[in-house]
Amino acid sequence: MTTAALVHVVVSGLATGSIYALMAISLVIVYNATRTLNFAQGEMLMVSTFVGWTAHQWLRLPLPLIMLVAVVAAALLGWLIERAVIRYSIAATHFDVLIITLGLSLVLRAAAGLVWTHDEFPFPSFFADRPIAIGPVRLAPVSLGIIGGSLLLMLALYGLFRGTRLGRAMRAVAQNQRAARLMGISVERVYSASWILAAVVGGIAGVLIAPVIFLSSKMGLVAINGFTAAVLGGFGSMPGAVVGGMLLGVIENLAPLYLPSGIKHSVPFLLMIAILLVRPSGVLGRARRRKV
Amino acid sequence: MRRALWLAGGLALVLWPWAAPPYFVFLTSLIVVNAIVAIGLNLLSGYTNQLSFGHAGFLAVGAYVAALLTIHAPALPVVAALLLAGLATALVGLALGIPCLRLEGLYLAMATLAFGFVVVEAILNLDWITRGNDGLRVPVARLGGLALASDTAKYYLVVAAGALMVWAAANIVRTRTGRALLAIRESEIAAQASGVHVAAYKTLAFVVSAFYTGVAGGLFAFIVGYLSPDAFDVFLSVDFVAMIVVGGLGSIPGSIVGAAVITVLYDTLAAFQNYRPLIFGVILIACMLFMPGGIASRVRFPVLKGDNA
Repeated sequence: MTTAALVHVVVSGLATGSIYALMAISLVIVYNATRTLNFAQGEMLMVSTFVGWTAHQWLRLPLPLIMLVAVVAAALLGWLIERAVIRYSIAATHFDVLIITLGLSLVLRAAAGLVWTHDEFPFPSFFADRPIAIGPVRLAPVSLGIIGGSLLLMLALYGLFRGTRLGRAMRAVAQNQRAARLMGISVERVYSASWILAAVVGGIAGVLIAPVIFLSSKMGLVAINGFTAAVLGGFGSMPGAVVGGMLLGVIENLAPLYLPSGIKHSVPFLLMIAILLVRPSGVLGRARRRKV
Repeated sequence: MRRALWLAGGLALVLWPWAAPPYFVFLTSLIVVNAIVAIGLNLLSGYTNQLSFGHAGFLAVGAYVAALLTIHAPALPVVAALLLAGLATALVGLALGIPCLRLEGLYLAMATLAFGFVVVEAILNLDWITRGNDGLRVPVARLGGLALASDTAKYYLVVAAGALMVWAAANIVRTRTGRALLAIRESEIAAQASGVHVAAYKTLAFVVSAFYTGVAGGLFAFIVGYLSPDAFDVFLSVDFVAMIVVGGLGSIPGSIVGAAVITVLYDTLAAFQNYRPLIFGVILIACMLFMPGGIASRVRFPVLKGDNA
């Protein structure tokens, strides 16, 4: 294995890793606000990407507008789901909300299958197919584009969480809901904002990854790797989600080179089980203390 | 009154194969198998509040162990095959349960989900014994000199095993063990403070749950007669969760009713495959929003005492 080839593998690992990181960030945003895992995150991504694709088919929109359509669709879907379903189960246990989002994921996938069939569709890409050669290293533009786009989005999110009132409110709710409410933060609005924001991040991730993995009702399964990434970095931590995603992407791409091929598909799951056993709080997470 | 109900119910179960067409006999067997899994899952999720999305994995382990045992040791009586399938799965449950003790809620759900995927991948990769994607033909179960080949014979096997499992579960939940599990569900810390050995009981719940699912897996192998890894995907695990949610978390009669409802619904909707997940999803959401206790919270079951919906 030459260094150049190794660099290629690592870079494409970082590209898929960026998508896992974005999925993980979506999951963590929802988790921090409502303390629940959104099993439907991947399906929400899939639906918004399909909406963008439909706009492309009907109106022949240029790609940036497709991205915009997908983002708006994602925001609407996130808002709708939060207001119509999740809001009514806020008093329920995590267990119940988990099952509700599981139900949502079934509904969304089946609905997408009915509207757009269960076939795979090619999705237009922002980037050219021809690889870029830097010295002996050949890199796919799509990998670099995904990494760049994801990093930009992560920076924007960082700005949002640090610099804006809404971002501070979201962080406050993540730390302590009751205290946040007492400080005059509308926790309900933070719930809505979190679901919308998570959906938007997913929507962007969907448009970025669709040219690579094809558009299909199954593409929501990418969220499972998002879970793994979030766990790897420490569930609840944003930097952890980024680190976990990148780590997972690179490991997943490198593993087939060193492990027997049969085990390839199990790598993310084995990794998740391993990390849960060795360090449930993840690479960057802090151990949570339980109080009575 | 209770004794009369029991008697009538038992008689109906025994006479059923003579009254119903063969397909319905097969469907009833499937309901009983699913009910055993649902009871096992409920002991873990409903009673102890440890949600599992990996029970299709346990079912697969039980099914393949039973099938492989019967293939390689044709003289083995079916009871032994089922028992060994249950024990092997219980061992897997122990191996997964001990590390999972440290996990709660979401983390456990994710770890079990991952377990389900790993089992399917393992079956695909161990193709020199499981025959991978080609599938495995399961030989006819034997009991002494008897070959249980007909749907009716398989039905009696399944119903006998099911009755035993229900009886055992009813006894587990109304004794000290059941109360300990319930105490863990309500509050782990309070349970520990009251002298419940939380780690031991959580592991026990995992092992018993896996044993139930393993035995059900063995029965599944015999009544279906053909195993392939895609039958045990994550959606099957979701169906099991749906059974206990619809029937009632923490209720044994609820598990049985839930298994019956979901199995019959699954079968009825066979012609509308594309709509099936849609309907199941809506049912899950509606149950959680409007009927969190499932059917068991709305119906009084006169037969079983010690019910904790």
